[in-house]
Amino acid sequence: MNTATARLSLSSLRAHKRRFTGTFTAVFLGVAFLAGTLLLGDTLKASFSSMFGNAAAGTDAVVRSADTITTPGESQGVRSPVDTELVRRIEELPQVAAAAPGIQGAGQLIGKNGDPVGGAGPPTLAGNWIADPQLNPYQLAEGRAPAKSGEVVVNRGAAKSGGLKVGDTTTLRTPDPVEVTVVGLATIGGADGMGQVTFTGMTQADAEKYLTPNPGEASSISVRAGPGVEQQELVRALAPVLPAGVEAITGQESAEENTDYISAQFLDLFTVFLLVFSGIALLVATFSIHNTFTIVVAQRTRENALLRALGASRQQVVGATLIEAAAVAVLASAAGLLGGIGIALGLQALFPAIGFPFPEGDLVITAMAMVLPLLVGIVVCLGSALLPAVRAGRTAPLAALRESQVDDSGASRRRAVLGGALGVLAVGITLTGVLVTPSLWLAGTGAVLALVAFVVLGPVASSRAVRILGGPLDRLRGVTGGLARRNALRSPKRTAATASALMIGVAVVGLFTVFAASLKATMDQTVSRSFAGDVAVSAPAFGAGGSGLSPRLAPALADLPEVETSVGLGRGVAEVDGAGRQLTVTDPQDLARGFDLGTVDGSLGTLGRDGIAIARDEAGDRGLAVGDTTELAFTDGNKEPFTVRAVFDRSELAGDYVITREAWAPHRAQDSDTLIAVTFKDGVTAADGRAAVEQTAAAYGDPEVQTRDEYAESSAGGIDMMLTLVYALLALAVLIALLGIANTLTLSVHERTRELGLLRSVGQTRAQLRAMVRWESVLVAAFGTAGGLALGGFLGWILVKASDGASDSAFAFALPPLQLSVVALVGLAAGALAGLRPARRAARLNVLRAIATE
Amino acid sequence: MSTMTDIAAAARVVDAVKVYGAGDTEVRALDGVSVDFTAGRFTAIMGPSGSGKSTLMHCAAGLDTLSSGSAFIGDTELGALDDKRLTLLRRDRVGFVFQAYNLLPTLTVAENITLPIDLAGGRPDREWIDALVDVVGLGDRLHHRPAELSGGQQQRVAVARAFAGRPDVVFADEPTGNLDSRAGEEVLGLLGRTVRQMARTVVMVTHDPVAAAHADEVVFLADGRLVDRMAAPTADKVLDRMKAFDGRTGTPSAAARAQGGPS
Repeated sequence: MNTATARLSLSSLRAHKRRFTGTFTAVFLGVAFLAGTLLLGDTLKASFSSMFGNAAAGTDAVVRSADTITTPGESQGVRSPVDTELVRRIEELPQVAAAAPGIQGAGQLIGKNGDPVGGAGPPTLAGNWIADPQLNPYQLAEGRAPAKSGEVVVNRGAAKSGGLKVGDTTTLRTPDPVEVTVVGLATIGGADGMGQVTFTGMTQADAEKYLTPNPGEASSISVRAGPGVEQQELVRALAPVLPAGVEAITGQESAEENTDYISAQFLDLFTVFLLVFSGIALLVATFSIHNTFTIVVAQRTRENALLRALGASRQQVVGATLIEAAAVAVLASAAGLLGGIGIALGLQALFPAIGFPFPEGDLVITAMAMVLPLLVGIVVCLGSALLPAVRAGRTAPLAALRESQVDDSGASRRRAVLGGALGVLAVGITLTGVLVTPSLWLAGTGAVLALVAFVVLGPVASSRAVRILGGPLDRLRGVTGGLARRNALRSPKRTAATASALMIGVAVVGLFTVFAASLKATMDQTVSRSFAGDVAVSAPAFGAGGSGLSPRLAPALADLPEVETSVGLGRGVAEVDGAGRQLTVTDPQDLARGFDLGTVDGSLGTLGRDGIAIARDEAGDRGLAVGDTTELAFTDGNKEPFTVRAVFDRSELAGDYVITREAWAPHRAQDSDTLIAVTFKDGVTAADGRAAVEQTAAAYGDPEVQTRDEYAESSAGGIDMMLTLVYALLALAVLIALLGIANTLTLSVHERTRELGLLRSVGQTRAQLRAMVRWESVLVAAFGTAGGLALGGFLGWILVKASDGASDSAFAFALPPLQLSVVALVGLAAGALAGLRPARRAARLNVLRAIATE
Repeated sequence: MSTMTDIAAAARVVDAVKVYGAGDTEVRALDGVSVDFTAGRFTAIMGPSGSGKSTLMHCAAGLDTLSSGSAFIGDTELGALDDKRLTLLRRDRVGFVFQAYNLLPTLTVAENITLPIDLAGGRPDREWIDALVDVVGLGDRLHHRPAELSGGQQQRVAVARAFAGRPDVVFADEPTGNLDSRAGEEVLGLLGRTVRQMARTVVMVTHDPVAAAHADEVVFLADGRLVDRMAAPTADKVLDRMKAFDGRTGTPSAAARAQGGPS
C-alpha cells in the first residue's frame, strides 16, 4: 500500500460521503451506547462509593454479629442482633469518643396520596435516629430530630416521592401501621437518598418497639474513635470487650462493604444489562456495515477493474477499500465516544428527574470506558468491511470493459447445504440440551447455531419468502407492487443481508416477548395450581422493597364471620445442614386449606415446636423422609434438631421448608407475612367476603386484597415493567437495522437511476415511483420480521425450556399472539419508514439526466 | 381521433427557445425553432452534434421544458402542465424509444410492452397488442427477460412498448445508435412499417443519413435553428445535404456549444 492508494480511497470517500452516512451512524450509535454504558457504570460506582464514604466518615468502627446466613439469591445475608448493653461497655474504653446502637428494619411510608412510597426493588428501611451527627450516616437537612414517640425523620428523596413535608402526619408500615409525624428531612452523603432506598428514622424506643422482637437489641453499633486513634487501633481495642460471635470492622471496611453490596445488588446488573443491549446493537450494526461495503464494492467494480488494469495490485485494491473503512471507523468511533459522554451525562441528569435519585458526582471518565468502545467500533467496522474488500481485490481487470453488473446470483447450493446442516445441528443440539439431558450450555450453543443458520440461510430463503410475502402486492398495488416485489427479488443476497440486521433485532424482541409471556403464564399457572384461597392479601413488593403484612392480620381475618380459614405466610432464614435456606413460617394446620400442596405425606397439623414440613424435591435431594431429623441453625447462633413430620408436593407458593410460628418465635427478627390466603365460608358471596376482608385489612396498613386472578396478574406486574425497559433498549438495534435498510435502498436506487428514468419517461408518476421504493422497503422488512419472529420464537422456547430444566418450578411456554402481531406490525411500519427517504430521493430524480446515455 | 390527427400536427413547437446556463456560459440550444410534426408520418430530425436536435425532441416530448415559446402534443400546450399532468400525458399520449437501456430487466417482454398501460392501471387492448407483437415479430419471446434477448430484439420490444398505448406520437432518440447495421435496419424498418401500416406518428432524432432515409421527411437543425426540410429522403440526398451544411456551419465553435444539450 502506498500514498497513492490512500489518496485514492480518501478522495473516493469524500466524493461519496452519502454512501457512508448509514455506516457512520450505525458505528456511531453502537459506540456511543457502549461508551455511555461504561461511563455511567463507572460514574455511578464512584458516586455511590463517595456517598458511602461521606456517610460513614464519622464512623470509625462498626460492631456487629459475626455470623450471617445467606440464602441463594441474596447477597447481603441476615445477621443476628447485638445486645445494646454492649454500647455502655464500649463507651468506657479510653480510645472511644462515642458509640451508638443502630436498629434497622423494614418500614414503608404511605405517601400523601395514600400509595406506599418505594418498594419497587430497593429496600424500604426504618431505624433509630442516631443523635450523634457524626455517627449517623444521615444528616438533618431540614426540621429537627425525633424527640418523642411517633416523630420521624425521613430521607428527602422518599419525602419528595411521597409528597411529604415537615409537619405532615402519615402511616408507616412496620408492617403494623404506626401513626407518625414527619419532623425532619435528611440527606445521606450529600444526596437525597441512597439510590431509591427509603429511610425513616424514629426514636430509639420506637425503633425497639416496632422493629425488633426484643427490646435491648440492635442490628449493629457504630463507634467513633477519640482524637488521634486510628481505625485499626480502635478495632483492636474493641476486641477484648466483645462477646463471642460479635466482631468489629473499621468504618472504611463498612463503607466498602456497602459499595460492594449495592454494586452486586444493582449496579453490576444494570451495567451488564445495558452492555448486552449495546452488544446486540453492534451485532446489528455489523450486518448493516457489511452490506453497505458489499454494495459499494459492487458498484465500484469498473473503477477497481480499471485500477487493476492500470497495474494496481490486489493488495492495493483491498487496501484502498480498507482505508476507506478505517477512516469511517475512526471518525464514527471517535464521534461515538463524544456521543457516549453525552448519553452518560444525559442519563445522569435524567434519572433524578424521573425520581431515581442517583448520588451526585462528576462524570468519571476512565481509560477503559474510552479505549474499549473505540476499539470495538473500529474492529466491528473494519471486520465488516474485510470480506467485501477481499472481494474487491479479486476484481478481474477485464471487468473494466464490461457494463458493471450487480451480483444478482441466487444462493449457491453450497450455502443451502451448509445452512441446512447448521440448522439441523442447531435443532439437534437444542433438543438434546432441552429435552434429553438438560444443559444450559447445550441449549445456549443450539441458540447461537440457530442464529448462524438463519443468517446463512437468509439468501436461500429470501427469494421464496419475498415471492410469498409480496404475493398480495401484485393484486393490491398493480404494476407498482409487482415492480417493488421484483426489485426485492433481484439480488437475493443483498435482500437477505439487509433483512438480517432487522431479523436479529426482531428476534431479540420476539425472544423477550415470548419469554415474558411464558413467565406470566408460569405465574398464572403457579397461582391457579397452588393458591386455593378465595382472596389473597398481599403487600405488593418487588425485590427487597416493602414491609410485608402484619402477622396479626391473618388471625384477625380468621375471626371474621365470613371467613373459613386465613393462612399467612411469613419468612425466616436458617441454615439447613450448613446451607442458608428460606423458611416459611406459618400455621401449618391450615396451610393446605389456603394453598394446594398436592399430596402430603405425614401430617401438617402436628409440626409443633420441633417439627418441619419439607417439599418433596428438596426432601429427595437431602435424603429426608417423614420421621427423619435435620438440624437448623438460626441467626442467633442456636442450633435445634427438627423432625420431618410432613412432605408435600407443591412448593411454588408455600416454599421448601415450613415451620410453625412457635418454632420460629425465639429466633425471629422483625415479623411480617408476605401473603395471606383467605377462604370464605359456604354461602358467603365473593363480594361480601372481599368487602369484609378489605374492611379489616384497612386497619393493618391497608394492604391489597385481590381475587386469585388479580393476584396472579399483579405477581407478574414486574415482568411488564422489565419488558418495557427491554423494548426501549432494543429500539436502538431496530433503529440501526432501519438505517441499514434505508442505506441499501438508497444505494439500489442510485444503481437503478437509468431504469427509474425510463419508468418516469414512459409515464410512472412520482407517487407511483415513491410507492414502488416504499413497497420494496416494506417487503425487505417483512422478510426480516418474519425471520426474526421465527427465530425469536425458537430462542424463546429454548430459554423457557432451559429455565424449566434449571429450576425446580415448572415453566409454561406461551406464544402471545397479540404482542407478536404488534411486533410484526412494528417491523412492517419500520420498513415503510425506512423507505421514505430513499423513495423521496428517487422521486426527485431528473428524468432527462437519468436517461441520458453515458 | 384519427381523422382529427390526420389533418393536424401530432406535435409541434412554436418559437422554441432553450437556454442553458446564464451570462458568459449561456448556451442557446434552441434558438427560435418552429416546426410541426405531421400526424401519420415518420419525421427524422437531423443535424450535427450540438445542433439542438436532442433538445428539440426532449422539449417536444415533454421531458424537458422550454425557456420560451411553446410546445404542443395535439392541442395540449405542455408549458401549462405541472409535473404530474406532464407525466400522465407522457404515459397516455406519447411513446419513447431510447438509444439504450430501454427495458426494465425485471419484467418479461410482454410486461415491458404493456408497462405504460399497466402504470395507468388500464386494460391493454389485446387485439392491438397482438397485432403489434406480430409486426415486431417477437411472438415466441414474450415470456423471456430482456437479458435473454439480443440488442436488436430488445430495441424491437422497446418499439412495441412505445406503440402499445396507441400514443399520439412516438419519439425515438437515436434508436439505432447502439446496434449493428443489420439490427438497426430491422428496427428502422419496423418503425416505418408501423407508421404506414398502423397509421402512427414517429419523430426520430438521428445523425445517421441511412437511418434518416427511412423517414417520410427530414428536418435539419443547426446551431439551434431549423435550417431545412426534405421530403422523400434517400441516404445519398441526406448525406449531400449534411455535407453541404457541414461546410457552411461546421465550425469548431458550433461543436463547442454542444455542452449544454446532450447529443
